[in-house]
Amino acid sequence: MDKDLLRQCLTYHGQSLLDKLKCEQIENPDFQTVVSDLCKATCDRYDNPLVEQFIARKADILFCPSWKTATGQEEEQVEEEDAAEPYAVMPPVELFMEASFEERRVMLYRDLEKGDIVVGRINNIREYGFFLTLLCTAGGLKRDIEDLELSALCHIREIPSTGSHDDPLSYYQIGDFIRAAVKDIDRYQEKVTVSLHQASLSSKMEHVKLGVIPREELPTHYSRSVRAAADSSETYECILHSCHGYHNPSVVDYLLEKVGISDDHPPSMMRGLQSKLFQEEDFASVIRKKQSASWALKCVRAGVDHFKHGRHVEAMNEYNKALDIDTNNVEALVARGALYANKGSIMKAITDFELALVNCPDHRNAKKYLCQTLVERGKQLEEQEKLVTAEGLYRRALSLDDLNPEAKEALHKITDTIQKSIRLREEALAKEQEKATSSQTSAEKLRKILKEEKRMKKKRKRSASSSSSSSNSSQDSSSPSSTSSNRRRSKKKKKKRRRSERGSKRHSRISSRESRRSEEEEDEVEWYPAPPNTSATFLNQRGGPGSGEEEEVEEKDAEDRRISQLYSLSGASDDEESDSSHKERKRRDREESKAGKKKNSEERGRGSSERRNKSKDRGKEDNRRDSDSKRRSSLDGDRKRKVSCSSADSEYLRRSGSKSEYLANSASKHPESRGRHDSPRRNSFDGGRYENRGRGGIQEAEETRGEKDSFKGKPEEESSRSEERGSGNHKNKKSDFPVRPKKELPTNLLDIFSKIAQFEKEKGGRPK
Amino acid sequence: MEGPSSRVLSTPDRPPCPPGRRDSGGVAESESARDIKTHFRVCRFIMETGVKLCMRSVPVATACVLYHRFFERAGLRDYEPYLVAMSCLYLAGKVEEQHIRTRDIINVSHRYFNSSSSPLECDKEFWDLRDSVVQCELLILRQLNFHVCFEHPHKYLLHYLLSVKSLVNRHAWSRTPVAETSWALLRDCYHGGMCIRHIPQHIAIATLYLALNSYGVELPVGEREWWQVCVCVCVCVCVCKM
Repeated sequence: MDKDLLRQCLTYHGQSLLDKLKCEQIENPDFQTVVSDLCKATCDRYDNPLVEQFIARKADILFCPSWKTATGQEEEQVEEEDAAEPYAVMPPVELFMEASFEERRVMLYRDLEKGDIVVGRINNIREYGFFLTLLCTAGGLKRDIEDLELSALCHIREIPSTGSHDDPLSYYQIGDFIRAAVKDIDRYQEKVTVSLHQASLSSKMEHVKLGVIPREELPTHYSRSVRAAADSSETYECILHSCHGYHNPSVVDYLLEKVGISDDHPPSMMRGLQSKLFQEEDFASVIRKKQSASWALKCVRAGVDHFKHGRHVEAMNEYNKALDIDTNNVEALVARGALYANKGSIMKAITDFELALVNCPDHRNAKKYLCQTLVERGKQLEEQEKLVTAEGLYRRALSLDDLNPEAKEALHKITDTIQKSIRLREEALAKEQEKATSSQTSAEKLRKILKEEKRMKKKRKRSASSSSSSSNSSQDSSSPSSTSSNRRRSKKKKKKRRRSERGSKRHSRISSRESRRSEEEEDEVEWYPAPPNTSATFLNQRGGPGSGEEEEVEEKDAEDRRISQLYSLSGASDDEESDSSHKERKRRDREESKAGKKKNSEERGRGSSERRNKSKDRGKEDNRRDSDSKRRSSLDGDRKRKVSCSSADSEYLRRSGSKSEYLANSASKHPESRGRHDSPRRNSFDGGRYENRGRGGIQEAEETRGEKDSFKGKPEEESSRSEERGSGNHKNKKSDFPVRPKKELPTNLLDIFSKIAQFEKEKGGRPK
Repeated sequence: MEGPSSRVLSTPDRPPCPPGRRDSGGVAESESARDIKTHFRVCRFIMETGVKLCMRSVPVATACVLYHRFFERAGLRDYEPYLVAMSCLYLAGKVEEQHIRTRDIINVSHRYFNSSSSPLECDKEFWDLRDSVVQCELLILRQLNFHVCFEHPHKYLLHYLLSVKSLVNRHAWSRTPVAETSWALLRDCYHGGMCIRHIPQHIAIATLYLALNSYGVELPVGEREWWQVCVCVCVCVCVCKM
């Protein structure tokens, strides 16, 4: 019990209350502890015995320490216009009470504190400051003090300087209304000093502006009190009803908050209504939830019955009804998922099961059904040759239900298939190893381009009908099929080579399996060089840094462009179509491996940077340069490819700083790759990139796809693969090379080329 | 009007009158005393249900007033009081713009009477209950001549609180839970018929006065008492049985 309150109460009421208290509260242990401290009541006023009885009976509630009113918001009432006030701001009551002069004076000096705001009128200006006649208080305190004729001094040093060197007092005139903060109160001598510095305000009212205020800004309660004082017919009630704020429909809620009472757990003096006695389960919302669940269950049972008798439509209706009654009802979701699975809408079934598992992760049936459905879906994907995704699904299915024989068997089968394909890819990649491409900065790329140009021109000079020229022309004229088929054929060979390489080097690891799977998919793409539904995705190597999906789309677009450049315009359009079909899958997988995607996209972006106008930011790193140098060592072959690969490389490297090592050391793939456990995806991307380089976009795309498909990264393999690929340089897309840069380089570069050509001529001429 | 009497706490049976002991006036008195007790219990039911339905104070007050006004003229024998109470809650929610679903009212009431029971099934019984609540609502409206909009003391109390707050020292105010106590008193006074016998200003003043008195808060005195200012008539504090 709150001792102070009790004492205050007893002082007020007198001895009779004490007696009654003792009588009523004799059992209350808290009361026992405090009763000894209670002094004899001094005053013995007449009191309604009923009231005393009431107090005595309810003392344990009244004086309970936890019965405190929460401190309401003591914010400064923003002086708004009358129409906008949230509640009725009343003039000070003492006005109506006609409290005596002395009384009010005493009250004011008792209650005014440092930091309060007062409003006054200047009545006298001296050289050391000015004097205010206090009109009213502002801020939280509301007092009627005008006729008290209190005077407050504002010293000149309390006036903030205006900045100019004028006398600050000249700014003020007699009769101005000033809002100031109380700086000091001398209660004995009844002197008040005020200040105009913002710092002297208390923390809650810091935003109030001090200084001269126009008449309109005088506090509302003051202006109303002036009106009330002038017109004696204005009673409190009249003013209350005339206030606009009184009629605010939510005035009760607003004021409750202001005063600090909560309406959610309302206070009560009745013993039966104390808030702690209310139990959570008795509340309406809780009961409603339970009831909805039970009603939904009834519908689900009816639906299951329908289902067993083959009436699928009615069953679905019942399930939907159940879900209307209770969304996310676990049983309904599981049952509906089973119905979907039966009908063949596997994706919808999976969604339902997943949702059910979110709500109830241990639901036996949900797990079982989901497992079966995932296996089913995996089989579907296998037929569509999306092996990596399928493997992921099988894994998930096994994680749900360890003992499902079908899932296990499917998983083994698919991993075997993928391993094989990866092995083949490795072999192909190994062949590319010698053609390591280096990563380059764009400047280096440019240099490379220029060198290539020179060489091309020299070659052209040397051989009248060089393959390069034909390839150039073919590229330029976009008469692609022959070249593209050549390329494809060579790609195929490369793939085979790579696969064999990989097979020899790779250890069978789960991650490798996945990478193999991805590679296999990529390989598959390659095997059907530009079929509408495959190649584009692999070629979609570009992608800038960014979110997976957008990347994918962008990549696909970039890929499309690249493809068109590589092959032919007609081919490109096909690729675009195929891109979209792969996009979904890739997107899904992407979610698994965002980081990898980013890398890939970087890689690809770099590859296509020359071509693409929108080039994502690629970091230039020493990595690239390193790999660059390595790659330069093996310059023969596709310079273009090198550049693209290197750019891809450098992007890739940018992402994985240490990866450059990989790029650099084509020889030691495995140890390095193993070292890269931290970023499996990156590695795989690395591998992807390298592949890309080797085969142009396709490989990279494959890698990326593989990346996405693989739920787990396959670090070592990828990295090793990448190395292999890096070293095994690629294909001879050298025809591509001049085309690409040409198409993408601005015209001034072409000027540079011509100038270089001239220079070459000169050089060639001079020694002669 | 059929009510869910099977599930309802039955009103206390009349104790058998010892012959000759009571005259008709006495019977009426004991009846009215019993009635008062019944009304008290039903109002307690309204308050509890209001809290469990998360209703604000003003709609609960409206529900109580509707109930009291209904039984001013209707007899307890003719209508099932708890059903009337449920319908009053429903109607009050509509009047005060805090709409309550009948399903929730029925759920909470069912649990009030059958403690720790499982929720009702969506069967004929449930729909019958729902129908009876809705029909009773119409009955209440007709009984009250469709005057269902009341002025409540809550607004007045809050404004008076603010005015009185400015009369006292801020520290003393923060020490004394006058606001909470007066609000509790205001809510509790709806158990009885006092709420329809006095104007809202008086009720507000009374609760505030009692709260201040309980804590022994001294207020300045002028020509008039503070409560005389707020209302034109002096009010005796009517402390209903708590």
